[in-house]
Amino acid sequence: MIKIENLVKRYGDNVALDHFNLNVEEGEIFGLLGPNGSGKTTAINCMLALLKFDRGSIKIMGEEMAPDNYKVKEQIGIVMQDVAVFEELNVQENIDYFCSLYVKDRKKRRELVEDAIRFVGLEEYRKSYPKKLSGGLLRRLNIACGIAHRPKLIILDEPTVAVDPQSRNKILEGICELNRQGSTIIYTSHYMEEVEQICTRIAIMDHGRSIAVGTKEELKGMIKTGETVTIEAVILSEGDLSEIRTLPHVFDVQYSDQKLVVRCTGAKHNLIHILNCLQEKEIPFGRVFSELPTLNDVFLEITGKQLRD
Amino acid sequence: MWDMIRYSFLTKIRNRDLIFWPLVFPFVLTTAMYFSIGQVGEADFETVEAAIVTEEGQNEGDIQNSGEEMFSQFLEGVEEDSDLIRTMEMTEADAVKALENGEVDGIFYSGEDPSLTVSGSGFPQSILQMILENYTEGKQTLEDVARLHPEGMEAAVEAMSDYGDAVEQVSLGGRTTDGTAQFFYALLGMACLYGCFIGYNSAMELQANLTPLAARRCAGPVNRLSLVLTETLVSFGLHFVNMVLLLAYMKYILKLEFTGSYAEMLPALFLGSMIGVTMGMFVTSVGKAGEGVKIGIMVGVSMALSFLAGLMNADIKNVVDKNASLINRINPAALISDAMYCINVYDAPERYAQDMLILAVMSVILIAGTFLIIRRERYVSI
Repeated sequence: MIKIENLVKRYGDNVALDHFNLNVEEGEIFGLLGPNGSGKTTAINCMLALLKFDRGSIKIMGEEMAPDNYKVKEQIGIVMQDVAVFEELNVQENIDYFCSLYVKDRKKRRELVEDAIRFVGLEEYRKSYPKKLSGGLLRRLNIACGIAHRPKLIILDEPTVAVDPQSRNKILEGICELNRQGSTIIYTSHYMEEVEQICTRIAIMDHGRSIAVGTKEELKGMIKTGETVTIEAVILSEGDLSEIRTLPHVFDVQYSDQKLVVRCTGAKHNLIHILNCLQEKEIPFGRVFSELPTLNDVFLEITGKQLRD
Repeated sequence: MWDMIRYSFLTKIRNRDLIFWPLVFPFVLTTAMYFSIGQVGEADFETVEAAIVTEEGQNEGDIQNSGEEMFSQFLEGVEEDSDLIRTMEMTEADAVKALENGEVDGIFYSGEDPSLTVSGSGFPQSILQMILENYTEGKQTLEDVARLHPEGMEAAVEAMSDYGDAVEQVSLGGRTTDGTAQFFYALLGMACLYGCFIGYNSAMELQANLTPLAARRCAGPVNRLSLVLTETLVSFGLHFVNMVLLLAYMKYILKLEFTGSYAEMLPALFLGSMIGVTMGMFVTSVGKAGEGVKIGIMVGVSMALSFLAGLMNADIKNVVDKNASLINRINPAALISDAMYCINVYDAPERYAQDMLILAVMSVILIAGTFLIIRRERYVSI
C-alpha cells in the first residue's frame, strides 16, 4: 500500500527525516510511534505530497506520489493533528464540503455524510457549529471530515491529542471499525498505549529514522527486558543492592527515593527471587509491581531515553 | 466546482470579522462622513447683520471727503454684490443695544481707521472680520485712486467689494460640486483596498503552509487552479457587489453628487476591487511573517494610500499631485478617486482612460504575482 525508501527531508541544517524507510501492507493498522519532533508529521506531509523532500521516493498504491496524482489522492483520507474544519460551517456542512472534494454525486454524498455523522456519533450535533462543540466532539468532527468519502487509506496524525478518555476510546474503536470495513490505517501517536492497543504493526521513530519495525510482540522480543519489578518504600544499603544484582536474570538495578526498579530478562520467578532476598534480610517494603515490557522499554533500550522525554 | 463556490461564499458571509472591515465599515464611515463634512456644503447660509456707527461731530462736508465715506461705499458694494452682509446705520448706543440683544452680529465703527466690535466668535463674526481686513489691506489703494483718479473711485470700490465668487463654486467641467465629494471618492478608493481582508482570508484557506485547513484542502484530489480560481472569484465577486451597493448607497440614499454614468464608474470599482482582493492574497502568501504582521501591513498600506488619496484631507491629494505626482499615479486609491473625479466633476475622458489603464496594469501584475506564489503545490515547510 505504501512504500517509502530512503526519504530525506532537511529544514536548513536540521534533518527531519534521515533515510526514512517504511513499508505498509494493505489491511494493516500501522502505527508510527515516536516522541514529539521525531519526524512523524513530516513523514505524513511528504506522503500527502504537501512537503518537498530532498531525497528518496514515496509510492502509494503502486504509484509515485505527486501533488497532481489525483487518482491516488481520491483514495486517501486525512485526519490532521490540528482540527481542520471551517468555523463558519456546521457539522453537516463541514463533512459535506470535504466529502465534495472527493465525491461529486450529490445523492451518493448525502448518504456518505449521514453515515459519517452516525459513525462518529454526532447525530445530535449535525446543525451545531464547531465553536459550540467540546474538544472531544470537535475531534470526532475532524475525523468524520477525513473519512466520509470511504477512502482505502486513512492517515490519522495524532487524532486523540487533548481528548477526554471517553472520546478517546470512541475514536480508537472507530479506527478499528474502519479497518474492519477494509481501510488501511496509518496512525501516528506519541501515546504508546494507544498504539499498542490498536496497531497490527508499529514503526518506532526517533530523529527522523525508523529505529525498529514489527508487531508489538516482535518489538518487545528485540530487547533484553522481559520483566520490570518495582518495589516502593524500601530502605536498602549498598550491600543489599549488590546482592540483588547477583540474583539470576537480573541485569539492571536502579534505586532512588526508597524506590527499587529491577530489570530482568524474560524468565519465570523473577519476582519471587527478589522478594525472597528481601525477606531473608528482613527488609520491610511497601507496594510491589511486576510489569511486562512496554514499547517505552523498547524505546528506552534502543535510544537510551524515555519515549516522553 | 459549484459546491466549492457555494461553500466558499457561505464561509465568507458567515465570518463576522471578514464581513465587518471590507463590507460593513465603509458604509459606517460613509454615513459618519456624510453627517459631519458632507453637510457643510449644504448648510443654510444666513446673511450676517452688522451695525455701522459713524463718528460724532463730523459735518456732512467732512464725511464726503473722509475715509469714512470710502468705508461706507465699500460696505454698500459688498451688500449689493452678495448676500454676505446687511448693514444698518445706528447711533452707538442703539448699536450696542442691538449687539447685546443679538439683533446684529457686530458693529463697524467707521472713520479714518475703521474698527469692529463683536460679542463672540463664530462664522458670522469671522465674515465681518474678513471684510474689515480686506478693506484695511486695500485702503491705501483706494486712497491713491481717490487722490489721483477720483473719477474711478466708484469702480475701484466696486471691484474690491466683489464677494460674488465666495458664494458659488463651479467645476472646470461645468458640473457643480459641493467641494466635499473628493472625500467620498477617496473613501471609495479605501473601500476597494479593504478587499485585502477578503483576499487575506482566501489565502489563509489556500496555502497549506499557513493553516491546517488549507493543508487538508490541498491534500484533496482537487486541481490547484480550480481551488485558487474558486476562492479568487468568490472573494472578488463578493467585494465588487459590496462596492456597487456602497456606490448606490452614496448616490441614492445619501443623495451625494455622482452625476457620472454607472458604465463609467463601475469599471473603476471593478478594477479597484480586484486590486484590493489580490493585494490581500499577495501579502498573505508571501514571506514567513506572522498573521499579525501581515494584517498590520495590509491596514498600514490601505490607510497610507487612502490618506495620500485625500481621505482625511482633500488638500493632501492636491499636494501630492503637485509635488510628487508619480506617487498618486501608482496609488490605486488615488487612481480610483481620480477616476471618480474625472467622471463626476472634470468631465475629462482622457485622464479617466489613463487612470483606468494604470489600474488595469496594476491588476494584471498583482494577479500574476499572486498566482505565481499561490500555485505552489509542494512547500518547503509546513
